[in-house]
Amino acid sequence: MHHTSHSPRRPSVLHIFKIYYPDLFGGTLTVIRDICASLKDAFASAALVCSESAEPRDIVVNDVQVERVHSFGNLLSLPAAPTYPWRLWRKIAEHDLLVLHAPFPLADLVFAFGFGRNRPLVVHWHADIVSHAGLRWFIEPLMRRTLRRAKAIIVSDHVLVDNTPLLREFEDKCHVVPFGIDTTGYDWPKIEPHHVNDRGRLVLACGRLVPYKGFDVLIRAAAAHNFEVWIIGEGTERPRLEQLIQELGLGERVRLLGSVNDCERIKLMCLTDVFVMPSVTNAETFGLVQLEAMAAGRPVVNTALDTAVPRVARHGMEAITVPPGDAEKLGEAIDTLVRDPERRRRMGLAARTRALSRYSATSFREGMETVYRDAVTASCKEPASAAAPPQAAGWLDTVRIAATLAWSDMRHRYVRSLLGPFWMSLQMAIVVAVLGSVIGQMTNVDVLSRLPMLALSMTAWTFINSVVLDATTALQNSASLIRDRALPPVIFLLQCTFRQGLFALHNACVPLLLWLVLSPHDLSHALAALPGLLLFVACTFALSLVLGALATRYRDLKPIIESTLMLAFLASPVIWSSDMINHRSTVMRLNPLTHLFAVWREPLVGGHVDPVSIVYVLITLALLVFASVLTLVHLRKAAFWI
Amino acid sequence: MVSISLRNVCLDYPLYGAYDYSLKRRLIGHLIREPGEMRIIRAIDNVTIEAAAGARIGLAGPNGSGKSTLLRLIAGVYPPSSGSVAIQGNVVPLLGLNAGVNLDFVAEDNIALLLRISGRKPSRSVIDDIWAFTELETRMQRLPLRMFSSGMLMRVLFATATAFPADILLLDEWLSVVDEHFAEKAQERLLHLVSQAAIVIIASHDQPLLRRTCTSIINLDHGRIASTVTVEPPATHSFELREKRA
Repeated sequence: MHHTSHSPRRPSVLHIFKIYYPDLFGGTLTVIRDICASLKDAFASAALVCSESAEPRDIVVNDVQVERVHSFGNLLSLPAAPTYPWRLWRKIAEHDLLVLHAPFPLADLVFAFGFGRNRPLVVHWHADIVSHAGLRWFIEPLMRRTLRRAKAIIVSDHVLVDNTPLLREFEDKCHVVPFGIDTTGYDWPKIEPHHVNDRGRLVLACGRLVPYKGFDVLIRAAAAHNFEVWIIGEGTERPRLEQLIQELGLGERVRLLGSVNDCERIKLMCLTDVFVMPSVTNAETFGLVQLEAMAAGRPVVNTALDTAVPRVARHGMEAITVPPGDAEKLGEAIDTLVRDPERRRRMGLAARTRALSRYSATSFREGMETVYRDAVTASCKEPASAAAPPQAAGWLDTVRIAATLAWSDMRHRYVRSLLGPFWMSLQMAIVVAVLGSVIGQMTNVDVLSRLPMLALSMTAWTFINSVVLDATTALQNSASLIRDRALPPVIFLLQCTFRQGLFALHNACVPLLLWLVLSPHDLSHALAALPGLLLFVACTFALSLVLGALATRYRDLKPIIESTLMLAFLASPVIWSSDMINHRSTVMRLNPLTHLFAVWREPLVGGHVDPVSIVYVLITLALLVFASVLTLVHLRKAAFWI
Repeated sequence: MVSISLRNVCLDYPLYGAYDYSLKRRLIGHLIREPGEMRIIRAIDNVTIEAAAGARIGLAGPNGSGKSTLLRLIAGVYPPSSGSVAIQGNVVPLLGLNAGVNLDFVAEDNIALLLRISGRKPSRSVIDDIWAFTELETRMQRLPLRMFSSGMLMRVLFATATAFPADILLLDEWLSVVDEHFAEKAQERLLHLVSQAAIVIIASHDQPLLRRTCTSIINLDHGRIASTVTVEPPATHSFELREKRA
């Protein structure tokens, strides 16, 4: 627990976003930077972002610790940084508060799978996903899970909650904190001399050169009128825009200024006559630049999006709002303002007043600080919720209890008996000896060299056989624990696998001894057999789960299962190996057990596994897993059956 | 926050006869188009219970009225057929004491196993505390439970089951421990456990007991809530208790 209020240490905040300075400049980044800067007395900020540059991973930008995860470029507007979720998971524990700047599906992935549950999360909702809307069906459930887990959601205007269905589901968590800007840079007296530009026809726009900003609309609008357009910003659209300017023959009047530093940008803002926000999609949620223009006392022309854009600068008061993507209307609106200096002055004044009063940096800081603090303190106060309800935290406990029960079963064998389960091993040794000699009589192969494999196969068979047989009665034998202690039934099926696994380890000493005595020792073969052995155990468990549940529900299945197991033993290459008989035997090839044994036996003798066997086993496993999932669903009703 | 919320919960309990357990019978039934009628009784019928921390609920009713089934449903043994069940907090069902006991094991191991089953770590001191409560000789810890008399066994099981406090305690009948001296001590411990739990639900036929311990009594009849009685404020009941003990 972090008792932040008592300790002098500032709680640390991790900002989670796709990119940060110095790799890019833009509205969202300005917001993050402003949050970090304005809250630096109350919170220690850090950021985890992606970067394509090969430069040092950890840098410090304006007192903010930034870790940049390497990205291989952009894929569907997302950085292709495969290690990001991993890094995020590692970083979560180091911070007291996580702030996710949405949308960022890469981080949703981490939260949706329940990592970082013990840290409070605040989601700063910058925009909905607008581009690549076709991927919504995949991303939306992830985002929903993230939002469900969030302590608070910050939006810049209430209209976003109203117009975003996903946010409406979590309306009670949403806090409206309008962005604010530090207006000292736009001081009134400094601006006064240029206040009304005598040329009266400079139009400014600002933003990354990306499609949703709608700069192409602005350029087309300029074609029909006689004003000058300067666009600040850099981005992937530049070649296209340049081409458009050339095609329309606007090289004289439309200029792409590229990236411009803050100081220069403010100067340009103060210089311009009309500021234009021609954005065309709802990806533009607020339009921080129009707020800057307002602070500089400029009239604005913006677009009627369903976001906060037309509400920050309102039509007829601080701005003229036109339909998005309509070059004609946009041009007309700009022209109206260009022609009417008095109206420009009036709207500029109103804009300045609104920026100072409604969107001040102070109220933004206070709003953010309140939300962050509440999130941190709220998570300190609820230790109980961290201990999730038993059903959710369940599976680890399930495994633990099953293991405990299996362990106690094994110890039970040692009660009143010194050898314990080794009696079974002894029996196994006898069976192997007898079978070995019989097989040696029947075929003319070298029996001694085959004995270790025979013993191992018998051990494996005993394992699968007893797991399945145990499972058929496990639930009935544990009826009282299920009904009176409310333990989940799956525990007792898992217990069978664990118990027989322990016994198999006892039995394995027979093949191990034979192997040490009779075979050349090659450990690498044993290692190569491990994956196959794991598949074998997984299949066994899944099979026992399905059959165990079925045999409990339908009691007449038990004898059928018993006789089928006997048949399977005879039809599978357990005591004989496939090279002793005709290879093309159909029964043998169709028998999944043949392949289930082959995937670990072949590597063990230094051979190669037939790809067919691997495919066969994987398909079997997939089917069994599918059946197991169905079984687990029905197992809730197991208490009725026993 | 510990709470139990059952909303319009119904439970259809399937009664499996000998034939219903047979897959062959069922398949043949399908073939000859004679759908095997599964007998179902509605064990819990439209029950709504809201309990917040501090609630002491008694379940009363004749045999077969659904008291134990309701407790099991709350414990999560039976899934509800309809309605919603929302439970916050860790549920400790004390429905049967001897579940999970292995008579061949020595007492100590059994205690450790039972503690692990309920998700606790059996440390030496915990086991010693439990043993101290049973008032049995220390050397008996090393004896298999098979050698214990039924009274002694009961002591061990009771001490183990009640060793840890619970958020939500479900009791089917007041746990009674035969021997007179120990019964008093057990009573005291159980009362202590009840007082520590946030929510307690007791199913019992013993009306005076329910009136002593509970804040409200739900009378069940054929799985339905027949009536809910609110017992007078707990101030008087604790007084009563003290009187009884004195």
